[in-house]
Amino acid sequence: MNLDLKAINQCVRCGSCRTFCPVFEESGWESANTRGRIMILKGLTCGLQPDLQVLGSLNTCTTCGICTENCPAGVNPPEIIENARRQLVSLGKMTCQQADLSRNIFASGNTFGDGRDRLSWLTDRGLLTKKADYVYFAGCMNSYRYTETAANTFALLNRFGATMLPAEQCCGSPLLRTGFDARRFIDENCRQIANTGAKTVITGCAGCYTTLKKSYPQDFRVLSVPEFLAERISEMDIKPLDLTVTYHDPCHLGRHNQIYEQPRQVIRAICRLKEMKTSGKAARCCGGGGGVRAGYKDLSLKMAKKRLEDVPGEVDYIVTSCPLCIRNLRDAGAGEKVIDLVDLVAMAMQ
Amino acid sequence: MTDILQELKGIVGDRVSASPGERCCYASDASQVVGLPDFVVRPKSTSQVSRLLRLCSEHLIPATARGAGTGLAGGCSPVRGGIVLDMSGMNRILEIDYENQQVIVEPGVVAEKLNFALKPYGFFFPPDPGSMAMCTIGGMLSYNSSGMRSVKYGTVRNYVLDLEVVLADGRVIHTGKKVLKSSAGYDLTRLFVGSEGTLGIITSAGLKIAPLPRTRKIVLACFEEAEIAGQAVIRIFSNGITPSACEILDRTTLQVLKLCDPLLAIPEDGDVILFEVDGTESSTSEAARQISEICQPTAKSVRIAVGAEMDSIWSARRLVGAAISRLDPTKTRIYMGEDVGVPIKEIPALIKKVQQIAVKLDIPAMKYGHIGDGNLHVALFIDVMNKEQWEKLRLAADRIHRAAMDLGGTVSSEHGIGLARAGYLPEQMGMEAFSVMQSIKKALDPKGILNPGKMGL
Ligand SMILES: Cc1cc2nc3c(=O)[nH]c(=O)nc-3n(C[C@H](O)[C@H](O)[C@H](O)COP(=O)(O)OP(=O)(O)OC[C@H]3O[C@@H](n4cnc5c(N)ncnc54)[C@H](O)[C@@H]3O)c2cc1C
Ligand code: SF4
Ligand code: SF4
Repeated sequence: MNLDLKAINQCVRCGSCRTFCPVFEESGWESANTRGRIMILKGLTCGLQPDLQVLGSLNTCTTCGICTENCPAGVNPPEIIENARRQLVSLGKMTCQQADLSRNIFASGNTFGDGRDRLSWLTDRGLLTKKADYVYFAGCMNSYRYTETAANTFALLNRFGATMLPAEQCCGSPLLRTGFDARRFIDENCRQIANTGAKTVITGCAGCYTTLKKSYPQDFRVLSVPEFLAERISEMDIKPLDLTVTYHDPCHLGRHNQIYEQPRQVIRAICRLKEMKTSGKAARCCGGGGGVRAGYKDLSLKMAKKRLEDVPGEVDYIVTSCPLCIRNLRDAGAGEKVIDLVDLVAMAMQ
Repeated sequence: MTDILQELKGIVGDRVSASPGERCCYASDASQVVGLPDFVVRPKSTSQVSRLLRLCSEHLIPATARGAGTGLAGGCSPVRGGIVLDMSGMNRILEIDYENQQVIVEPGVVAEKLNFALKPYGFFFPPDPGSMAMCTIGGMLSYNSSGMRSVKYGTVRNYVLDLEVVLADGRVIHTGKKVLKSSAGYDLTRLFVGSEGTLGIITSAGLKIAPLPRTRKIVLACFEEAEIAGQAVIRIFSNGITPSACEILDRTTLQVLKLCDPLLAIPEDGDVILFEVDGTESSTSEAARQISEICQPTAKSVRIAVGAEMDSIWSARRLVGAAISRLDPTKTRIYMGEDVGVPIKEIPALIKKVQQIAVKLDIPAMKYGHIGDGNLHVALFIDVMNKEQWEKLRLAADRIHRAAMDLGGTVSSEHGIGLARAGYLPEQMGMEAFSVMQSIKKALDPKGILNPGKMGL
């Protein structure tokens, strides 16, 4: 395999990552730790065979980036791991779960393999203008699972002149995270975005955000919903709510893109904010990213349960800005207490 | 092999792995020593360890204990194959008996976690290796680890009251009692401390703890050259002052620290000595003042830091050794020749020799360490894809080890011998003393199954 040995060799095997890799914390096996994954990658360059256990080690990384943030040697493990997943997939080495996920997406354009209309939640199609300054990119999760959030977001953004793509496709994030080629989807979404003439694409999903920002051609500006809202909060008709909420930083908004302050700004404009036990750069991962929820649900939920232990007492809601985090935290026991930032804004505007 | 795997499963259930990927992850620590295990097991109790060792003894299978694998000498690398016992899952704090100033812990407890648990009681476990956030008590005991505060508080050895040890044939012994001192028989406790898993496997430890000092302060003194800095340290000690830490950071170390935390207010041009003093508000103020006064005449600058600033300096310092590639991403720190120690008075001479070795071989060297107890860490960093640089590195490490021995010092002050430094041990100890070590090993592990190949045994 042709892995980036320079990046791999930067790891000095100090083991510091044992203290922060959330997967290792659950598993206890060195192969579930950042350092172990890097050792396995090195092994692959010298004859180790990519059997199921090896794939399990690499595929259980949530790409949360907490190791990148803390590694004293400046290694960027999720980047190295994603690169390796890509090479393995190109060699036909993948788990059944990886194969199923990609099959679904390639067959239906969404992660669920759902044949229904992606815009079924939109009651008034007349709101979709052909040309617009902004495009709201809803993503698979909000289009199919959290349609109310999609509707709330579009209602907010539409006031500022946002439209949606007529036939939005999966952004490609789940494919890219798990090692597949997503060019087909990137090209198709880009073509539709170009047709609208929009120079800004706004998304409420942290996974879509990272992908649009880092894997798409830089023909348009990408904004996350919290960034957009923080810029426009004064123009919105918001009334304060007598609530206390906490905020969960999605890894792909926070550590991957340094969006920490904007969602907090929006929350503080509405109600009281109590921070979680770990937040910002140090925020614990919900366990759902990097294809872990799709491939290793039990492990993923265990991490989400740990994250819930960080929630401070006496909060009315756990607010976040990523539907993947919402689903995992809800399924881990927090239920409807977990809401999207947009839903909080919608409450304040009622 | 399948039979052994079945037997292992019978002892530890699903906490065993024979998969090539898992074995690859347990082949090394942070050193360059590599040895592939046949099996990895993660025992949960003393009785499991005992049954495992009985099995190993019966089938002559090498058994190598491992904590967090942060060691720098290859101690936990199973260089003769066999079974690695990953002890990090035995991580319960069994008892905090602060009235008797002691705790009982399993070996997998991480040092920093122990200190978090002790803090509410106003106590701490003083040995503080830079790796304390991840290394285990078992690993620390087996290497007689220490850290920045050993200049005042000593090494792990000074804090062990009793060990539960599983011997090579599976028998379980206790080496001490729950008392702060004892004068009964050979000191078996201290025999096992520093034995690197070659004499038995530690399954619990009774440790002495100390009251947390009320306050700490640091004095940052910057000097033109490391030699002048070394002389200032000697003056401090000869004036009867015992700082709680006394660290040297050379110019390269200061650059790396700045890269780790750009906000650190540390000098960048010079060699810095970091003195820490602890105690009451008035005693630390007085000691910091005295240290400043003694350094002033030869220092370029002297400054006192407290509180959050002090904490961020310490946290950057702790992992600086691993952070050197931030200075030059094409190079990787290789832990070799990194832990020599000499009598304090010889520190300036050692620094000079190391400098000469590095210049002669044209290999970059960062120097930092616990100058207060004569322990100098030399960080050599190379492009690991370059064979010639590897050669130079080996040569430099060898010369540094020999330089320390020539000055009456040791090839390892705290990181241990493992395989990385095994070749020097007979020379440093003398053949007669080394043969005593061989006899002890033979008496306790006649079949040679415990961590074979280490320490030259
Ligand atoms: C960045 C960095 C900084 C460091 N700073 C310091 C420092 O300041 N001071 C210092 O002293 N060290 C330091 N070290 C070295 C290392 O962290 C210590 O030696 C530590 O004590 C090793 O602990 P471990 O749990 O990782 O042990 P391992 O490396 O897993 O094992 C160490 C040895 O202990 C044996 N062992 C482990 N558990 C048991 C057991 N239960 N019974 C019997 N034998 C056992 C192993 O066989 C091996 O020989 C540093 C390392 C790194 C990577
Ligand atoms: S913290 Fe960084 S350098 Fe250390 S073992 Fe983990 S990835 Fe490697
Ligand atoms: S990105 Fe997260 S899950 Fe992946 S290795 Fe790093 S810390 Fe572990």
